[in-house]
Amino acid sequence: MKGWAALAQVLLVGLLAGVAPAQKPPDKGPEKLPESVAACLACHDDTQLSVKLKDGSTMRLHVDPQEFVRSVHGAQLVCTDCHARYEQNHPSGATFASRRAYAIASYETCKKCHFDTYTRTLESVHYELLKSGLDAAPVCTDCHGAHTIQNPHEKRAMVSRSCATCHGDVYRRYAASVHGKALEEGGNQDVPACADCHTHHQIQPPGSTQFRLGSPQICIRCHGDARLMAKYGISATVAQTYLADFHGVTASLTRGASVAPQQVVVTCIDCHGVHDITSPRLRGAEAMKASVAAACARCHAGASPAFPAAWLSHWEPSLRHAPLVFLVQLFYKIFIPFVVIGLVLQVLLHLYRVSLGR
Amino acid sequence: MRGPDAGEYVVRFSFWARFQHASVILLFGVLLLTGMPQKWPYVEASRWVIEHLGGVVAVRWLHRAAGIAFSLLLVAHLAVAIGGALAGRTKPSMLLSVKDFRDAVDFLRYCLGWAEAPPRFGRYDYRQKFEYWGLVFGGVVMALTGFVLFFPITVSRLLPAELIPAAKVMHSYEALLAFLIILVWHLFAVLLSPEVFPLDTSIFTGKIRKDRLRHEHPLEYDELSGRE
Repeated sequence: MKGWAALAQVLLVGLLAGVAPAQKPPDKGPEKLPESVAACLACHDDTQLSVKLKDGSTMRLHVDPQEFVRSVHGAQLVCTDCHARYEQNHPSGATFASRRAYAIASYETCKKCHFDTYTRTLESVHYELLKSGLDAAPVCTDCHGAHTIQNPHEKRAMVSRSCATCHGDVYRRYAASVHGKALEEGGNQDVPACADCHTHHQIQPPGSTQFRLGSPQICIRCHGDARLMAKYGISATVAQTYLADFHGVTASLTRGASVAPQQVVVTCIDCHGVHDITSPRLRGAEAMKASVAAACARCHAGASPAFPAAWLSHWEPSLRHAPLVFLVQLFYKIFIPFVVIGLVLQVLLHLYRVSLGR
Repeated sequence: MRGPDAGEYVVRFSFWARFQHASVILLFGVLLLTGMPQKWPYVEASRWVIEHLGGVVAVRWLHRAAGIAFSLLLVAHLAVAIGGALAGRTKPSMLLSVKDFRDAVDFLRYCLGWAEAPPRFGRYDYRQKFEYWGLVFGGVVMALTGFVLFFPITVSRLLPAELIPAAKVMHSYEALLAFLIILVWHLFAVLLSPEVFPLDTSIFTGKIRKDRLRHEHPLEYDELSGRE
């Protein structure tokens, strides 16, 4: 999916460049900063430059020209594109209550260009918190930075680490998981980072019922992809075996139904965990069995340790795995066509005889 | 086909038999309506049915309730049939005999034109008997596997837990088989078959025209006439 998005991006950029070559920004090397930027940097390149805010704290006003030039906006924007309200003769004194108040008052400048992304954030749990008065709720610059913004598609680990600023506990568990380790230690681009499951901007509260019911679809995006799974020697049938089973059917039918779910529906996370997912192969069969048994017992009071054998552990029935289920299935797959074809033939023969006349 | 008996009727089915048939129509219908969407949950029509019946939890309870009623009817049927036969009040006319298998072969020979006349049937012909025993055995399979799925925790304490997914597969396929047999065999025999078209009403009214009885169940007709 990422490949397609990248390809679409390349095509789109190519197309825009083709139809509107005049709009292509002039090539600005780090040594050739535009005049207006240079004018600002005449003061702001000073590492000591700062301002005192109303709460008595000091806000540093230094901007590193090299860092800005290396950012994605370095070749596109000038200072006043974002900092539009400043006259030539500023500062006029401490106008903001705190550093945080400044960040919150300023972040909406991003929507001038990124309007669609901005509107998605308005539906997120983070915006709900911000609106309720929680200043710590993240705004654009908290995750993306300000003068140092990098392409978030290339720096997935960086974006995830920005989540860790507030969600440290969760991030530590994630970083120790099979997914987190691969991203953090090996720079693996296949494994999910925070935003791949929680989305980027329209982040929903993960404790909600709808998020739980939809969660298998998140796992299936990768674990139902045969080519991706083959790369890691993982079965891609895990999704369909779950969806074909009792709980998978319940989750699918409850999701998006007008009737609110009357019970907890078991999804992938109940046996595999959420942020602390580890490879079932590494955990071993015994540990997985214990995990499944514990998951069953959470809802099925009195489930014995033998009960999880009712679940085929993502295996398709075969002579080796679940031979009884396999043989019952085989019997009916032969018996039903045999009976039905036989009956249809007799009906046809009967009609044939009638057509001959008695 | 019209003979001296045209217009005259004889009683063919008791109230108990008609009540059971009507109950099976109702219960089988409810079980199919609530069961098939669970067998094919990813078909759009299934989602529609489940939505309109109040969600999957409601559908499953409706299915279990109809299943319990069907099981009770099955037990009552077997008790009355076996009890009646043992007490000598009813004849066990549904029991299979060698003649039924011979009749099946003879009827096919007749259909192919290798025999002049169809075999002479008694109170129930071989098709009706086969279907009856299919319903009884199928009903027992559905009830047993249904209760395994209803009480999986209890079952897994007493028996290997692999029986539960096996019961699920069996319940699902046996239901499909029953549905297909009713569709191609029973509905043909009672609706479209040239002898009864457009509908064999005897199981609803309890009566059958004498000329039809003579034609379709000659041995029973002879027996009744002989007794009269």
